[in-house]
This record gives sequence, structure tokens and C-alpha cells, in this order.
Amino acid sequence: MKASPKVLKIAQLIRDMRVRGAGRIARAAAYAMKVAALEYQGSSLDDYLTYMRHSAQILTSTRPTAVSLHNAVRYVMNKVRRASSCEEGVEIAVKAADNFIDSSLNAVRIIGEIGSRLIEDGDTVLTHCNSSAALSIIKTAYRKGKNIVAYATETRPKFQGLLSYRELVDAGVPTTLIPDSAVRYFIRDVDKVVVGADTVTANGAVVNKIGTSLIALAAYEAGVKLYVATETYKFSPATILGELVEIEERGAEEVLPTYTLLKLTNLKVRNPAFDVTPPEYIDAIITERGIIPPKAAALILLEDYGTEVAEELTKVTIDLEESTPLYSTD
Amino acid sequence: MLFNVMKRMLDYIESGMRMGASKSEVAKMVEEGVGAMRREIENAISLAATLGARRVRENASLLTCSYSRVVKMLFSRLKSEGKRVRAFVTESRPGGEGIRLAQELSEMGIETELIVDSSVRHFMKEMDMVVTGAEAIAANGAVVNKVGTSLIALAANEARVRTFVLTTTHKFSAETIFGELVKLPVMRDVSLLPGLEKRRDLNVCYPLFDVTPPRYVDAIITEKGVVAPEAVILLVRELHGWPTEVHDLISRLEKLVEVVGG
Repeated sequence: MKASPKVLKIAQLIRDMRVRGAGRIARAAAYAMKVAALEYQGSSLDDYLTYMRHSAQILTSTRPTAVSLHNAVRYVMNKVRRASSCEEGVEIAVKAADNFIDSSLNAVRIIGEIGSRLIEDGDTVLTHCNSSAALSIIKTAYRKGKNIVAYATETRPKFQGLLSYRELVDAGVPTTLIPDSAVRYFIRDVDKVVVGADTVTANGAVVNKIGTSLIALAAYEAGVKLYVATETYKFSPATILGELVEIEERGAEEVLPTYTLLKLTNLKVRNPAFDVTPPEYIDAIITERGIIPPKAAALILLEDYGTEVAEELTKVTIDLEESTPLYSTD
Repeated sequence: MLFNVMKRMLDYIESGMRMGASKSEVAKMVEEGVGAMRREIENAISLAATLGARRVRENASLLTCSYSRVVKMLFSRLKSEGKRVRAFVTESRPGGEGIRLAQELSEMGIETELIVDSSVRHFMKEMDMVVTGAEAIAANGAVVNKVGTSLIALAANEARVRTFVLTTTHKFSAETIFGELVKLPVMRDVSLLPGLEKRRDLNVCYPLFDVTPPRYVDAIITEKGVVAPEAVILLVRELHGWPTEVHDLISRLEKLVEVVGG
């Protein structure tokens, strides 16, 4: 079973972070599923489904932490599975992918609209990394005539903060770039922190770009509000079944030049791409379906994946022979 | 520190002149004074590092930032005492001094991990203690150090990891007793920022230092011993007298210039 070279190319772009940001990754993955369907050469339904599952697997393996990617692919596959013929399967995949991309883009606009109501005239807003949902809020607030200024953290090691800086400046928002290490220095000047999310877990913890939890801690210490802007497809259904979110560790060369590393055998670079912000430090999660308190994340998850979760729970078997007895019968 | 050293040098010059010494004699006294002070600081660093090393357990993971000579000396003490430790060093943007320290520690044979500044909360649970140097210590025990130090101390405090500041008493700022604020320089020139040199049109604000409140510092370790940051004032009293006499260096310099005639 061979995947289409075009799909492999998109998978590579996601892996290399040429396509980055949870929302953009999800849309790219949905698009790749559409391409996969259109590129399919055979005519057997079984073969088509195996081929699509294979493509799905290649795409989901690119970035382990990004649940949006999994959910985008799952969205398409759940629909494709119901096809009764190969032709119908292709048609369904194309429609599902288009649907996903449309509603994703729409979600960013709605989040911008809802979130902008929380931003007040004269506010100083701080953002981290490069989240389309978070920027949508800041830009919408500004467009509505709210006089705001922004701080963008540079976001080492890959400097995604520069992208946010550009986007905000292009939208007219007066913006200052600051180093990640200076967040506590500046936090007293900040009224609101707005960040995105890569994954939201069942208990309301937010997995996002490394540094987010440190900013959240500094904001919490200073009594500054912190909002997480995210589409609901970034909520992780697996976490309701107790699964942990794997934090991707990326290569050392993103931090230090390889020649320096080769010289020094005792020196290692640890480069986690994400960290986990506990729900206590988050004032609200802003989604396209409204604002929710972070600890109510399960609300979204059960609404979207309730039947699947219930089904999974029935599969959890407890081996009475092997499990330790709760009390001794002797 | 610069202030404290200057003050000492002025003391030498003034006392020399009171004694009616010639210019060359005064110059010689200053030269000797500089040598003596250098030795004194080296000894202080060494002693502070030795005291600090006593607080470190075998197999401990230590987090540090920027480049502090006392911290580096602490690691070399630990190495020579045969205590195995792991060093986590933040790269410490904008200067990147942490990269230099990480390189030097690894060359010293210490197992070293370099991390980005923003990841300190992610790693804090793995740490046994935080050690940093200081740029200046204020009268209330607040620590002025490389920007990012206060974030590290905050994250350590949240995770109940102890934070120790290693320094020498030369870094105490007696002036802050009278409300003088420690001035923190800010960098706005993009061409000086590693990785961003070529992006000339950016509006940036890169502070070089920040202030860590004393409540996040478990102890300040100097050549005079291990003290709570709030007790630093006791050491200031011992060093500079009480009530502390604050020297106006500029007017003293001007007076000297007048006497010596430029």
C-alpha cells in the first residue's frame, strides 16, 4: 500500500514545522486527506479504506502532541468509513475535508468576535508564539476601534513570535517584541494575556507552546487575566480515558548549532516544544461555541465524543485474576 | 559592584593625599589597592562557592541562568569534592551568557543540559535547587540579576524548589537603604540581539536585568555566610557602618580633580 507522494509531501511540511500552529496543521491534514482521496487509483472499497487509513496514519504520526491533527483526520475517516462504494468514499472524503477546513476558518473568526468583547479600550495585551485564534481576538478588538497595544514574546527556539509581531503590526496594532525571559518584568504593564492551545485535556489543562505555563504563572502572580483561544477540535477525547498527552521533544539543532554540540560531549540540549498550563491559571477558554471555564472542558468532550467515549469504556476490561484484591480474604 | 570598588579606590586616593603623598606615590597606593581588592574578591568568590557547595546533595539537579563566576566556582568545587550533580542552564537571552556557562561546565566534566529560557517551569519538577549569581543586592534583600531570574525564582517557589543566590558582599548596594532605586538598563537596538540582527525595523524592548523579590529567595550565600535575604542589611551594617554613610562619588571625584588639577 503506497501513499500518494503529495500526501507524503504535506506530512513532511508538517513534520518540519513549515506548516505550524495547531489550527493550520489541522487544516493541512484535512486537505491532505482530500488529496489522498482524489489521488486514489484503484476501485475496490476495501482497498480504498486501507489506503485512506494508511494515509491517515502517516499524517497523525508527524506531530505527536497536536490533537487537532488527529481530530481533523478522525473527522474525515469517521465519515469515509460509512461509504458503500469506492466512488462514494472519495466523494465523502472531499466533502468532509472541505467541511472541516471551512468550519475551522469560521471558528477562528467567531473566536475573534467573542474574545474581542473581553478586551477593553486601552488594554495592553500580551501574546506568546503564533496562534491564529489568539491573534484573531486581538485584531478584531483593534478593528472594532479599541485602542490597544500588544507585547509579543519572541518564542525561542524558533522565533514564532516574530510572525505574531508582523501580523499585529500589519493589522495596525502597536506592538513590541520582548524576550521570553522578560515576561515577569513586563507583566505589571499587561492587562490581559491571550494565547492559543495545541491540546486541551479533559481536566482543562492546556498544552501549548513551551513557555505558556511560565507566562500563566507570572500572570497569575500579578493578578493579570489569562485567556486561551482555541477551536473545539483541539480538545482531546483520549484524555478523558486517562491517556497522557505526549510532549514532543524536538532536535537540539533548533537551539544550538550542530558544530558546537559535536565539540562538547557532556553538553545536551533539551528542547520540549510544549508545556502544560494547569486550569487554575486560566481565566477562560474562548471557543467558537462560547466561553467556558477551563475545568468544564469535559462538557465539550462529552458533547462531541460522548458515544465514542462510552463505547471505549465498555472495552476496558478488568482482569480479576491478575488485579490486586482490594482486601484480603484470608 | 563598580560603585563599591570605585569607593574603595577613592578612599585610597584621599587618604594618600591627606598624608601628603606625591602623585606617583598615590598612584602606587592605588595600584596596590587594586591588587589587594582583586585578591579579596577572588577569595570571597571561592569562600562563597565553598559554603554553597555544602548545601548541594549528591546527584542533585541544579538549575542556573546567565554566567556567574561564583556559580561556576560552585560547580568546580562540587567536581573536586567528587559530588556528582547535573546542571541545567538556560540560554539567557538576549545575551546568551548561559550558552557560554553551559559550554564551560560541560568542558569541566559536569553533565550539562542547555534549555530555552521559557522552559524553566516545564523542567522545575526535575530540579533539586536553583542557584544564581547576582548583579546587585538591595537593602531589602531583593536580588537584581540577569533578566529571567525572577521568573525562575517564581517557578521554583511554586514547585517548592529552593533558590540560592551566590554572590559576594561587594555586590551589596548600600545606596538602596535610602530609597535609591537600582537602575535597570534596557536594550532597544535590534542589531545587538542574537538571531534578530538583520531585522532592523522591529520595535523591541529587551531589559537586561530584573528584580527578584526576597520572598522567592531562600538564602543569599556570600563569603560572610548563608543568610536570609531579609538579613542582608546586617551584613551591610557590618561592612559600611550604621547608620550607613552614603558616598556621593561624583562630588568626591570632582573635589579630587580640583585638588590634583586635572
